[in-house]
Amino acid sequence: MRAGAQCKLRRLAGIGGLGSAPAVEAVEMSSLAAANEFVELTQCATTNDQLRDALEAICQSMGFDYFALTHHVDPRASQAQAIRLHNYPEPWVAWFDEHRLGVSDPMHRASRVTDAGFRWARVPSMIKLTTADREVLAMARREGVGDGFTVPWHIPGEASGSCSFAVRPGSEVPEDYVLVAQLVGTYAFAAARRVNHIRLVEADGPPLTGRQRDCVLWAARGKTNWETAKILGLSEETVTQHHKQARERLDIPNRVMLVLRALYEGYFCFDDVFHA
Amino acid sequence: MFLTTATGAEALEDAVFRAMFEARKRVFVDLLKWDVPVRAGRYEVDQFDTPDATYLILTDGIGSHLGSARLLPTQRPHILDTLFPELCEGPVPSGPGVQEITRFCLDPRQNSRQRRSTRDTLVHALAAHALDVGINRFTGVAEFGWFQQILAFGWDCRPLGLPRQVEGSLLGALTIAITPETPTLLARAGLVPSATPSGVADRRHAA
Repeated sequence: MRAGAQCKLRRLAGIGGLGSAPAVEAVEMSSLAAANEFVELTQCATTNDQLRDALEAICQSMGFDYFALTHHVDPRASQAQAIRLHNYPEPWVAWFDEHRLGVSDPMHRASRVTDAGFRWARVPSMIKLTTADREVLAMARREGVGDGFTVPWHIPGEASGSCSFAVRPGSEVPEDYVLVAQLVGTYAFAAARRVNHIRLVEADGPPLTGRQRDCVLWAARGKTNWETAKILGLSEETVTQHHKQARERLDIPNRVMLVLRALYEGYFCFDDVFHA
Repeated sequence: MFLTTATGAEALEDAVFRAMFEARKRVFVDLLKWDVPVRAGRYEVDQFDTPDATYLILTDGIGSHLGSARLLPTQRPHILDTLFPELCEGPVPSGPGVQEITRFCLDPRQNSRQRRSTRDTLVHALAAHALDVGINRFTGVAEFGWFQQILAFGWDCRPLGLPRQVEGSLLGALTIAITPETPTLLARAGLVPSATPSGVADRRHAA
């Protein structure tokens, strides 16, 4: 199985012996066939190194210079397992980590507002960019990372992630291959998740009761316990108790985290908070 | 959790079915804003809800809907060949051993943990049903977020074509190979089914 995969990998990347030969065969294949070859490779992969090789190869044959498959966490702070496979220039990665961009990186933030892959050029229309964000993009360009395409990865109950493909400054994102990149990024993340045995991150306590959920929802809407008590026809003390028990059930230390956790676990959604 | 497996010919009027059509309206019309027909203001029923469709429905002890899915035979008109043939690069897969999974529905009245348990049980039930009746391949159309979840179930799932933007959503067609190994693959990916006690046949025929 692995020998076959190696052979396909060579074919995919055009690295059959002539290092400089372009990926002729990959280009002649239909785009779906190229994606499918990659899918097959990822299914055989049992280590991160194999996945990295496969990504390196498909990245080249699609006409991108870089790939980065990562969970959106700060690798220095996170307790949870996090995947990170990439071939970005080392100085850029060092700068990225030093500034703890795993969570706040604009591409990572943008990938949380969509299920579909996006060109980096679209990001300003997806999220509000701060001055710091613009500095991040300028720094990336200085370190050799220009435009790109990011495929978000969202599985309920797990840390979000993405698989990005990028080109050097001055090069164009290969428009013909972004839909292939969409499939490739998705399958790459699924394989990385399997290889690294990524599982749910959630508290094991019992779920919130309906009343607890209502009290947390009103907190999300900005109401104090006293106001929530008036709205729900309860005593303030009862609302306080509901909050306390909800925090215990979800193993959460404070009010802000409780609201976020309840949102994350799907007890209510943003629409319930803002458009009620 | 109780599992009802029946065709449209057997039980479209059953209470369990009505609850499913109501839940489908809540999910696909109210929540996901799909432009699909609604009957009597409360049931989501479309042209593919025919006697030929097979339904897998999970309910709780008092018959409330928890989750459901609809299987369409691919030798008759189904969603991929009727609405989205352009999502397949080659011919749309069809044959006696190929069925299309549609309207995979998790009741939104559950919290995320309950939904996950219902989901795991339903996916395992689909695989078991396929093995039971000789389906060796499922097909389906999915929005990309859902596509990723289907992939993460751990079964052998391949794209049938490149994804496409259709009315603002990125859609992909996929095929899932079903083999005796499939339940193991699902379990390995962390999908844990709840017990679905028998008594299903009684429930089905009670109506």
